Amino acid sequence: MERRKFIKNSALATSLALVPNFLKAFEGYIPDTFNNKKLVIIHLKGGNDGLNTIVPVTNDIYYNLRPKIALKKNQTIKITNEIGLHKSLMPLKRFYDQGELSIINNVGYPNPSRSHFTSTDIWNTASDHKNILNSGWIGRYLDNYGHKPYNAIHIDEHLSLALRGTKKNGIATKNAKQLFKSLQESDFNIILSHYDKNHLSEHNLGYLYQTMIDCKSSARYLYENSLSSKLSDNYPKKSTLSNQLRVVGQLINSRIDTTVFYTSLSGFDTHASQVKKQENLLKKYSEAVQSFVYDLKKNNTYKDTLILTFSEFGRRVKQNFSDGTDHGTANQVFLIGNNLKKQGFYNKIPDLKNLDDNGDLIYEIDFRQIYATILDKWLNVNDELILNRSFSQLDFI
Amino acid sequence: MGNKEILHLYWRAGFGLQPKQLQELAIKNKQEIIDDLFEKSKPIIPLEKDLSYLKNYPKSILKDNREKRIELARKNADETKKLNIIWLKRLAKTDNILRERMTLFWANHFVCRDMATKFILKYNNVLRTHALGNFRDFLKAITREASMIKYLNLNLNKKDNPNENFARELLELFTLGEGNYTEDDIKECSRAFTGYNHNFEGEFILRRFQHDYGHKSFFGEEGNFNGDDVIDIILKQKQCARHICKKIYRYFINEKINESYLEELVSVFYKNYEIEELMRYIFSTDWFYGKENIGVKIKSPVELIIGIQRLIPVYFTKDEELLRLQRLLDQYLLDPPNVAGWKGGKDWITSNSLVLRIKLPSMMLEEESYSYKTKGNFRNFRIVPVKNKYQQKLSVYVDWKVYKKRMKKLTLSELKSALILCEINDGTKRYISKFGRRPSKKNLVNLMSLPEYQMC
Repeated sequence: MERRKFIKNSALATSLALVPNFLKAFEGYIPDTFNNKKLVIIHLKGGNDGLNTIVPVTNDIYYNLRPKIALKKNQTIKITNEIGLHKSLMPLKRFYDQGELSIINNVGYPNPSRSHFTSTDIWNTASDHKNILNSGWIGRYLDNYGHKPYNAIHIDEHLSLALRGTKKNGIATKNAKQLFKSLQESDFNIILSHYDKNHLSEHNLGYLYQTMIDCKSSARYLYENSLSSKLSDNYPKKSTLSNQLRVVGQLINSRIDTTVFYTSLSGFDTHASQVKKQENLLKKYSEAVQSFVYDLKKNNTYKDTLILTFSEFGRRVKQNFSDGTDHGTANQVFLIGNNLKKQGFYNKIPDLKNLDDNGDLIYEIDFRQIYATILDKWLNVNDELILNRSFSQLDFI
Repeated sequence: MGNKEILHLYWRAGFGLQPKQLQELAIKNKQEIIDDLFEKSKPIIPLEKDLSYLKNYPKSILKDNREKRIELARKNADETKKLNIIWLKRLAKTDNILRERMTLFWANHFVCRDMATKFILKYNNVLRTHALGNFRDFLKAITREASMIKYLNLNLNKKDNPNENFARELLELFTLGEGNYTEDDIKECSRAFTGYNHNFEGEFILRRFQHDYGHKSFFGEEGNFNGDDVIDIILKQKQCARHICKKIYRYFINEKINESYLEELVSVFYKNYEIEELMRYIFSTDWFYGKENIGVKIKSPVELIIGIQRLIPVYFTKDEELLRLQRLLDQYLLDPPNVAGWKGGKDWITSNSLVLRIKLPSMMLEEESYSYKTKGNFRNFRIVPVKNKYQQKLSVYVDWKVYKKRMKKLTLSELKSALILCEINDGTKRYISKFGRRPSKKNLVNLMSLPEYQMC
């Protein structure tokens, strides 16, 4: 980022030092955003089986270790002679052909956790396994560069840890209209008009007041500004991810001042009868993304949007005997957009000859290298400030 | 003990107190108050639910009839909804306060979800039975429950084809905490639990041909361990006592842990894993009543709803509404989000849930409208905004006569101290001072609409 802007923002943060931290959080309005770029995050919850997503169709180890769940070459979409894409991912194949998809393989971190909860926290906070932070990486982006809670939105009822900063939080809402309407009906405004901010602690009660303030300041903005674009009818029905991306599409197409959107799809924890389950889930995923990209293209907002898809871990190379797979380690990350510098496969697919003691993949790229790259090259902010240290960047954008 | 301390105890061990109950307790000494709490929770009163519909679905019919099985699954989803209501109503009425409170805690420790109403009812009663008992017996009982066996794929864990799901959660969530075991421990643990299964009635069976009777090495010990042996070895690790005490500390005392107090608890609990002994110890310390622990927790949705119901004679005339509230506030009993349970604390709070929390007292007591409704059944519950302007109201009945009797001779300031435990900031204090002196309906609602009321 430009040095001048960095200084300007740091100065602004210190000028508010007399007010309790959480209250000053969004009071200093920084009028100009650095750029118009959007980041949409999709979390495939439960640990998507990467090996059955990007399939090594000529690898004997793969077929030997997965006698009952391995996908045959003719069941996949051909990418190269050695690599097949899961048949539910036809839309991704189109992105691939058009140079709008970058697949980064073997993404993980040292000393991997095989717990859903710990590993999700690690991804969301951009932490080391040994020292898991209390704030999320998008939350820390807000701490440093946000000026309104709605700069980062989780399309959900719950706010993900990823969007919780040390001083500022993003906002969680599935429906801006509902939020706004319900606010009009409550005692919110009376209560907020009376509290004495200097006497509030920064703990739980303070958090309640902070949430009220954030909510008030965001609800009207989101409600009024999201109306300039309609919800598209062009999305698959009855899919939670599709519903979320539909709202994101509306918000982006309304040109609202939000940089990061967080969405998710659950159900990837396939310990048993995996093949059919994963097939359905990946279909939901790829169709939702396809509709989303189409929606953005139609409204000329695709060029400013980058879609990041991750899962908290991959799955064990060897299948279990319930025709499923147990928790594993490294996995692939998908990046979708039309500003990709390195399209297609960013690096080689996993080396199944070289596994860890547990029979799991060994990571090659730290996920925080991807975050650092996105922060610096896409959002044009200081990645070290947000990630608390420097990571060598990649060159996909 | 002062009123504030008694109230603190009752908010953590129960769901608050009515002002009159508080006055009655205030004449007793600390030991009497604590003894009374445990005495009242001695009886184990299982939840009861009519399961006669199962007569129409015998094993012989279900076996080869897919349609019947689907029909039963639908029926079960409805019946589990009813069970949810039965549980909530129990909480609103019980004198067995501490046992019910502990049951709620354990339900979020030994997290389990099962649509088979009969099994999950039995499971819930196992939680209740052992809630203040011995943790070792508790753990062994849990591993034999049909609902748990299904939930964590223990029935798929077979000799030569282990499934790690249960073993991992046993070590990570139920006993030791992440980072306190190796991947090999998980593998050996899985082997010890092979063959665990249940029959059609939900009774535990060990399938001998699927059990691995071979030699295992677990936490440095060697032998032909079975599941119970593995549990005994786990409990030898002091870390297990520490993991459980940490969770109890966060839930009953404070999310922020004081390490030296925690160590006191660990040494009490590690001796013999008696839960009642541990809880008695906590409630008897001076530090439990320290200022830093009072009024600092954000109420869970269940604590909020039940707290209101135990304070004010308010009755839901439609059971559906209780389900709707739980869904809107993000804590629907018997339907935890995942095996780690509800995170609690700040995680309860989102823009939407906070708006509703602030509004809840006026919706329950003043028939205020609200603009959500829910659609669908237990499996696919959805929340949709109401489109027309005739917004929905909660169907509740408040017995104001009883309320008046309960609040007789009470001043507003006494009511305030019974409602709000945390520090109130000066601006809000001035706001309250304008309310007057009477604990009128309007003042009651105003007090309960403060964010301060969300704390306990």
